[in-house]
Amino acid sequence: MLNIKTIDDTSINERVYQLNLGPQHPSTHGVLHLLLKLDGEVVVAAEPIVGYSHRGHEKMAENRIWEQFLPNTSRIDYLSGLIYNQGYCMALEKLCGIEVPERAEYIRVITSELNRISSHLLGIMAFVMDIGAFTPFLYGFDDREHVLDLLERVTGSRLTYCYNRFGGVRNDIDQEFCDGTRRFIARLRGRFKDYHNLITENIIFIKRTRGVGIITEETALEFGVTGPSLRGSGVNYDVRKNEPYSIYPEFDFEIPVRKEGDVMARYQVRMAEMEQSMNIIEQALDNLPQGPVRSHVPRFIDPPAGDIYFAFESARGAVGYYIVSDGTRIPYRIKVRTPSFSNLFVLTRVLPGNFIADAIATLGSIDVVVPEIDR
Amino acid sequence: MPTEGQQKLLEELKNSLTRALPEGRITSGDYARTGCHLEVRLSDAGMRRIAMVMKDNRFYLETITAVDFPGSFELIYFYSTCHDDICRVIARIQILKDATPHTVSAVYPGAIWLEREIYDFFGIRFLDHPDLRRLLNPDDADYFPLLKTFGKTKLTEEIDDILC
Repeated sequence: MLNIKTIDDTSINERVYQLNLGPQHPSTHGVLHLLLKLDGEVVVAAEPIVGYSHRGHEKMAENRIWEQFLPNTSRIDYLSGLIYNQGYCMALEKLCGIEVPERAEYIRVITSELNRISSHLLGIMAFVMDIGAFTPFLYGFDDREHVLDLLERVTGSRLTYCYNRFGGVRNDIDQEFCDGTRRFIARLRGRFKDYHNLITENIIFIKRTRGVGIITEETALEFGVTGPSLRGSGVNYDVRKNEPYSIYPEFDFEIPVRKEGDVMARYQVRMAEMEQSMNIIEQALDNLPQGPVRSHVPRFIDPPAGDIYFAFESARGAVGYYIVSDGTRIPYRIKVRTPSFSNLFVLTRVLPGNFIADAIATLGSIDVVVPEIDR
Repeated sequence: MPTEGQQKLLEELKNSLTRALPEGRITSGDYARTGCHLEVRLSDAGMRRIAMVMKDNRFYLETITAVDFPGSFELIYFYSTCHDDICRVIARIQILKDATPHTVSAVYPGAIWLEREIYDFFGIRFLDHPDLRRLLNPDDADYFPLLKTFGKTKLTEEIDDILC
């Protein structure tokens, strides 16, 4: 039995009024439009309206050669572009049987995990700002600046990266990048104390997040919620561990899981995940092998006819590329399974019955990136 | 190599799928090449039964997608486990261009948006869907962008020829 309340719900009477949250609103993280039906302060029904930043990436894929789609991937989720880059390259390498040098795999993991840290920093700090704390936002962006500087050094860009190539990465990393990364990790570890003081132990933050916006395990599975939002609901599922790809099995790291399923749990999972990412980067830097960073791949790749589903973990959850090739230089179909899509839709079930202020906190804690939903 | 738990899960799943879908064609997938452990080909009527079997086995619906082949659509359902014994099941359904397949949103509410997206991009109408409207494209759009016929002009065909 469905109990999702949509806007045509007949239980609405004159006490209930509609509120358009967005598409331009400081707390909607991009052009997201949330249509809320309110009875006083209580949300009766919520309907996310998406599509404002639809660019048609899947259609674009069918009109260009395999290599030309590479820059598009980092614009699907602009906050974890390198991870999407890596996933697309790995999917095609698997389809074509391209070997990747070990050093390139290490560099991919280092850059992707740095990207994950920068994405989580932005996600957490923007969420904390949504519920009224402005100071941590500035601290977080200060730290994020260091990651962006490091990534700019190797990739040449600060946000929409296009660094991975079929068969490796574009260029090697240098000693200064390695040293800078170690310095950044030492610095961020020290800053975590401040963050816990400022946010985690802040009584206002605790009151605003404990027991708010609970996603139960059952609901999460029904809606296909993944990523930190799922792990905050007590499910130990991370593609990096459960369906290992790249060289993740070689590293010793944990998957943080919380049982509560509330806003606080999702925040704590993200914070713990950043620490695990730092562990992975350190291990990768310690064991970084020498060698080439790119194997010899023809200028144009011709994948054999066939299809492949490749899953990987972005900062927001499980991403999947479903690629259909008909044996030509142009993809026949590329479908991207984006985690925010399912993570946002669960709000129609979670928000009703909550206060409107808690709805903002819940929306922030899910950390949606709207262009990823719209594609 | 599949682990012991994975093999057990796959065996059990195969049995319950054969019981629920006697007409379906179940084959083991080549995980190293295609990323799926089990592939099921079935008819339109089977998609709700397979969804129920998957839900009983605590799979989650990763995504649904369609591919526009000449003469027919292929609807593809991706189910996956979210515990240590990873297992991905792909259910493929070949439907005619004007067919109206059944919705699985009564079993997996997350499919409401996934099916809306497919309607939005391919024009496939799902039977008994609670809320079949446009999702990402404008509400008044009169086109279905992911059809192979959409956006094809003489110029794009010439470019395709050069690229291939």
